[in-house]
Amino acid sequence: MTSKGEQAFAFALAAILLVVGVVCYAGFSQETPEEPVRLMFKSTAGKILFDHKTHTDDAGYGIGCDDCHHEEQDESMSCSGEDCHGPDSEPKRGDALHTNCKGCHEESGAGPVECAACHVM
Amino acid sequence: MSSQKKLVVAHAPYWHDGSKISTKNYHIMIAALPAVLMGISQYGAPALAVIAFAMACAMIWEVIWNLILGKSASIGDGSAAVTGMLLGMLMPATAPWWLIVLGTFIAIIVGKQIFGGIGFNPLNPPLLALAMLVISFTGIFDFNESLRHYDLGFVMTYPLADLKAFGPDAIGKFGLGDLFMGRQAGAIGSTFGLGLIVGGLYLMLRGYMRWEVSLSFLAGVFITALLFNLSDPAKYASPVFHVLTGYTLIAAFFLVPEDSSSPANFIPMLIFGAMAGLMTVLVRNIGAYVDGVPFSILLMNLANPLLDKIRPKAIGKVVENA
Repeated sequence: MTSKGEQAFAFALAAILLVVGVVCYAGFSQETPEEPVRLMFKSTAGKILFDHKTHTDDAGYGIGCDDCHHEEQDESMSCSGEDCHGPDSEPKRGDALHTNCKGCHEESGAGPVECAACHVM
Repeated sequence: MSSQKKLVVAHAPYWHDGSKISTKNYHIMIAALPAVLMGISQYGAPALAVIAFAMACAMIWEVIWNLILGKSASIGDGSAAVTGMLLGMLMPATAPWWLIVLGTFIAIIVGKQIFGGIGFNPLNPPLLALAMLVISFTGIFDFNESLRHYDLGFVMTYPLADLKAFGPDAIGKFGLGDLFMGRQAGAIGSTFGLGLIVGGLYLMLRGYMRWEVSLSFLAGVFITALLFNLSDPAKYASPVFHVLTGYTLIAAFFLVPEDSSSPANFIPMLIFGAMAGLMTVLVRNIGAYVDGVPFSILLMNLANPLLDKIRPKAIGKVVENA
């Protein structure tokens, strides 16, 4: 059995933690950065983690936006949209990404080109 | 027969030495604080939200269960708060609120209360919840995916995921010092090696935790990983890497030695810890999951009653024809 003091302390602790938890969830939820840090592409051949920041940062590889994004995209635009790289479009999203990633890696002699070096099942 | 006294038993009344379950549980929370604070300092308010909400939800579930059963409230013993805190420590900072509600329900109600409450749970409650959540929501517990928006100034890929997917060649970028000091991606309260070790040593020295289970688990992880590493260093990571990454250290000091789900006798404690450590590395090196901690410990929890059959010889002897 626990004493009344211990019960009161536990109830007070629960109440405080509930308030802190709810306030933090409601008011300070994690924000999606304007420019992505890392992206997780999902495909039938597994997930691919792409370090966007390292590729674009001047301290990283310093690749310009239009080296990969061939036209100005706003936030609502998806690469796999119907007019762009959708299932019925050419090239499809996967092919476009392969051309971008592998093409650049092969051209510059840097970065992975083997399937399993990017795709994680 | 030797006249040496081996056991002295006095008759009642006995004197209570003042120790309480609540004292022990609050000490466990204090011991876990360094690792929790490191997680909050790295991930900020979202990490605080997960920890605070998990503790509150765990206590609320326990109160609800007490009300349903018409029993007096039992959250005063601090057990529910510890369960909530440990479950929060095992979650990524991006865990959504409904995952906490579900996870604490599994831990408190399914893991503990339906068996009769504190002291009766055959499985470790936070680990049972973690295992069920990991299987059900793989995306949330893929730390590479869930922490993709964070850039904390160190290598932000999950070390065990890199090892599993790309082998030891891909983990050269992780410095052991960084891993030890919590400069690695992972669950909120599971990455700060130094803090977890300090907390664990505190609990051991104060007698709140059985060192036998804890250290045999670490030895199990280390020796198994060492054998794998010696057999093929190009394929298997070093034992130190396995000790400093994933859930190893939080499991060693806060999960494996949980009272109800671990053995009480010396030899069983050693076997329990060592086998859990061995299976952790087996899952990591040749199994399907990135980290084997929840599954290996839960499996050993099931073997716990059997292991505790290995008992010391009873003092005294049977006198024939008495």
